[in-house]
Amino acid sequence: MSPGARWSRHAPVVVSLLAGAALWELSAHFTTRAFWAPLSETLASLVASARSGVLMRQATSSLGLYLSGLTVAILVGAPFGVLLARVRALRIALENYIMMLYATPMVALIPFILSMMGFGFAPKVLVVFLFAVFPIVYNTVEGARSIRPELIEVARAFRSSEWRLWCDVMIPYTLPFAMTGIRQAIARGLVGMVAAEFFLSPSGLGQMIMMGSQNFDTPGLLAAILLIVVLGVCLMDLGRYLERRFAAWRAYEC
Amino acid sequence: MLSTHPAALEPPPAAFMTGARRLLGSALALKLVAGVLLLIVWEAVVRSFAPAYVAKPSGIARVFGAVISNDEFLAAATATLGAVVKGLAVAILVGVAVGLAMGRISVVERGLRYYVNSLFATPMIAILPLVTLWFGYNADARLAVVVFAAFFSIAVNTSDGARAVPLEYLEVAHSFRARPFSTLLDIVLPSSLPYLIAGLRLAAGRALVAAVVAEFFISIPGLGYYILFHSRTFKHNEAFVAVIALVAVGVSFEALLNWITRRYLPWARRD
Repeated sequence: MSPGARWSRHAPVVVSLLAGAALWELSAHFTTRAFWAPLSETLASLVASARSGVLMRQATSSLGLYLSGLTVAILVGAPFGVLLARVRALRIALENYIMMLYATPMVALIPFILSMMGFGFAPKVLVVFLFAVFPIVYNTVEGARSIRPELIEVARAFRSSEWRLWCDVMIPYTLPFAMTGIRQAIARGLVGMVAAEFFLSPSGLGQMIMMGSQNFDTPGLLAAILLIVVLGVCLMDLGRYLERRFAAWRAYEC
Repeated sequence: MLSTHPAALEPPPAAFMTGARRLLGSALALKLVAGVLLLIVWEAVVRSFAPAYVAKPSGIARVFGAVISNDEFLAAATATLGAVVKGLAVAILVGVAVGLAMGRISVVERGLRYYVNSLFATPMIAILPLVTLWFGYNADARLAVVVFAAFFSIAVNTSDGARAVPLEYLEVAHSFRARPFSTLLDIVLPSSLPYLIAGLRLAAGRALVAAVVAEFFISIPGLGYYILFHSRTFKHNEAFVAVIALVAVGVSFEALLNWITRRYLPWARRD
């Protein structure tokens, strides 16, 4: 590709990012500070909170919460999903209920969790867990449905041990689907994290957003939202990478 | 060609099949038994470990009829559903227009890609405090959050769909000298409908979550506020009826989309 062609391919992107930054900066001069703040002040506020150590503390707290909830969700969700894949009767018995829980807007349970468990770290982890676990179970069960019974019958006919059956049939077939579930869980867990930080005891980036809005510190509010946008983009890329990495295994299907 | 003969497709009546068939025949019974067992476990756990106000199946069953015929509850459900439907309608109109433009015009795609993809990945409840600064603590803020939550998944999916239109279709349209506008409406839009449906499925879930969160935050009448108020006053059974209503809305929207796909878009079935 010639430099000219590369430039014409990337020019609209560069122009659009610059135009967005300029628009953000200029639009602030036509509105009051209560509604919107210029990009320069937002970045200055970000640097100030990074200097004072607040940013680091709040980001660590948010990430700790997020990773705890997501880890528990994966550790519970994936083995449970594979168990349902192996024990067919259990899968048939539970799949409709899992589908229902998958479709439930879990935010609706936050008030119950608040009044039963109060303001600790555990209820917040529970919220992230509830947001993240059902996509994993649901997608793993979907994967289990795609395993053709013939494969298990052949494995049995050749007197395959239970261990080999798991290694060679159950896990390779369900893992790509579990990864789709984990990608969804990565995204939903982030929503759960922000919701938990808003509505249970305020902490982390959610608290930064709340404080920005309550103190009419619009640059601080925008800085915290910008951080969440960046976090969301990084996590979505990570999820897509994981899904693609294991999607190759789906070629087994036909 | 024995293999294409219909008889060859019928399952063999061998002994090993009867076990599987019996299992499938009793699938409904199995599901029902599992449902009853789950309810019994829930009831037993709450009765033995939790305080009396915590929601349990018997308590929910007792208040269910009274709650769903209660005017306050009906008004709350109408308000939430109205906001979700209105927000989805706006998001579909604008999202499809932006998505088609992004899918077919490369300058638009390169210009907007980073913004749309980043905001698609952002949990929209994070912008809730900002939206209340703009719109105030009222129903407009809820509608705005619903639109924000639903818009990006529709735009992203429609643009993927518009980009995936088979080239032959466009070439045929071009050879018949179709006007660009009618190519867009008659070829690109129908061919990206399956993607739009997938986006809509995602958008509906996000819109419902956004409406509930907005009601928690803004304290305006709706199912979210109904849940918040009743759980704060320790009427968990009543509050849980609203959760059931939300689940019912989510599940029936999913069923509606599946029905539309099967009825009108038979080539786009997922499985």
